[in-house]
Amino acid sequence: MDMLGYLRPDGQLGIRNHVAIVYTTHCSLVVAEKLRSLFPDGTQLFGYPGGCALREGPFDKIVALGQHSSYAAALVVGLGCEGTEAYMVAQAIAKSGKPVEAVKINQEGGDLKTIEKGSRILVKLLQHASLAERAKMTPAELIVGQECGGSDATSGLASNPITGVAGDLLIEAGGTYMHSEVEELLGCGEALAARAVNAQVAKEIAEVIEEAERRSFEGGRFSWGYGNILGGLTSIDEKSAGCLSKSGTKPLQGILRKYERPKVKGYYIQIGEPESGTFHGDPEGVNQFAACGAHLCLFTTGCGSTTGGLIPVIKVIANPKRMQLIEDNADFDATPIMRGEKTIREMGEELYAEILAVAGGKRTKSEIYRHYEA
Amino acid sequence: MKRKTILLNTMDNVATALTDLKKGEKVNASLDAKSYDVVLLEDVEMGHKIALRDIAEGETVVKYGMPIGKALSPIRAGEWVHVHNCRSHRWGFHNEKYGLKA
Repeated sequence: MDMLGYLRPDGQLGIRNHVAIVYTTHCSLVVAEKLRSLFPDGTQLFGYPGGCALREGPFDKIVALGQHSSYAAALVVGLGCEGTEAYMVAQAIAKSGKPVEAVKINQEGGDLKTIEKGSRILVKLLQHASLAERAKMTPAELIVGQECGGSDATSGLASNPITGVAGDLLIEAGGTYMHSEVEELLGCGEALAARAVNAQVAKEIAEVIEEAERRSFEGGRFSWGYGNILGGLTSIDEKSAGCLSKSGTKPLQGILRKYERPKVKGYYIQIGEPESGTFHGDPEGVNQFAACGAHLCLFTTGCGSTTGGLIPVIKVIANPKRMQLIEDNADFDATPIMRGEKTIREMGEELYAEILAVAGGKRTKSEIYRHYEA
Repeated sequence: MKRKTILLNTMDNVATALTDLKKGEKVNASLDAKSYDVVLLEDVEMGHKIALRDIAEGETVVKYGMPIGKALSPIRAGEWVHVHNCRSHRWGFHNEKYGLKA
């Protein structure tokens, strides 16, 4: 199935076409937010709410996001004395070839003048975006992330396994699929190492899982409790295997550290603690995938979730009671598995079709509600 | 016909109940070419596991095609498989690695 993507100057194909408004410090957030509220149609806001010092992590993060294929252009809004200096950020984003402009509140002379100048720039950039070239896109160009949140017994039995099937189908079509959350894969080191494309990747993933195991035990964050046992889980191994089912069955190409883009296509694991953003937890995880180039994110939830982010989020729920309750925020109904009506394979194929539909332009609930958390 | 159990991998020797099941109930668990018919020897709640064939003491219990523990005692087909008769070999028996006494 062919879709039409937005062709960017660096050759990337986007499935959405926004203008990014990037704030570089908490001091410029209010102005940036006002600019977004003046032009809510076609803009997304993200940035770095941290302090004044330049730290590589946040700088790299906002640059990686600014270079994302969803953005036709970007406006960087700074104060003027922060380490993540606005022109520097703009220049780095502009390496992707898209138009990027910057305004500094200190230089323009306060909020109002910055908003005035920023508004004129945004009008120009929005017009530029509307002229973005369309190009044929196949599933082979797609990068899809997978995240879980508010998990319950149905996550391991239905939701995660179907994302694994959908991920496999995407890779069979030449695409790229990634998940994170290695701290939930305790005990899966050997299984994943066996799927690694080479000895180096095998060693790396075994070490990453070993480290996650050590941290879990030492930090007392061992994710195992009485509730798990009541729900039917016998061991950590079983819980981890349910989590691993989201990974599908394809060879592991590598580990993506912070904001790395996949070098070849296929299956990846993304690791690294997120940098501080305005939002934490699940949306931050979604945006981590975006920073690694993901076009959209699958999100499995048992209890229900409102999670969104800078890329479209497809929320998958398999718990029939929760689905009924939170249908307004759910995108993919996986309850037929729990009702014994459909198989994991069947629902995985349907989820893959949904991925292609969303890549082709179908808007997810998170997008319609503008859950653009960042 | 609606399935009452889910078999996650053809290598598995347990299936998971999709609904609360009663002792004496006959259930089928199938995936691809694998198919098991078992009579439940006890009640099994939704989300809990059923042995699909006899499992010997010390034998590995397999779900998702992955080892999830070892049988603490012989388990008959149709029995409920849980913490009373199955324990992780990684963290149940060799937990001294992390100083755990679980």
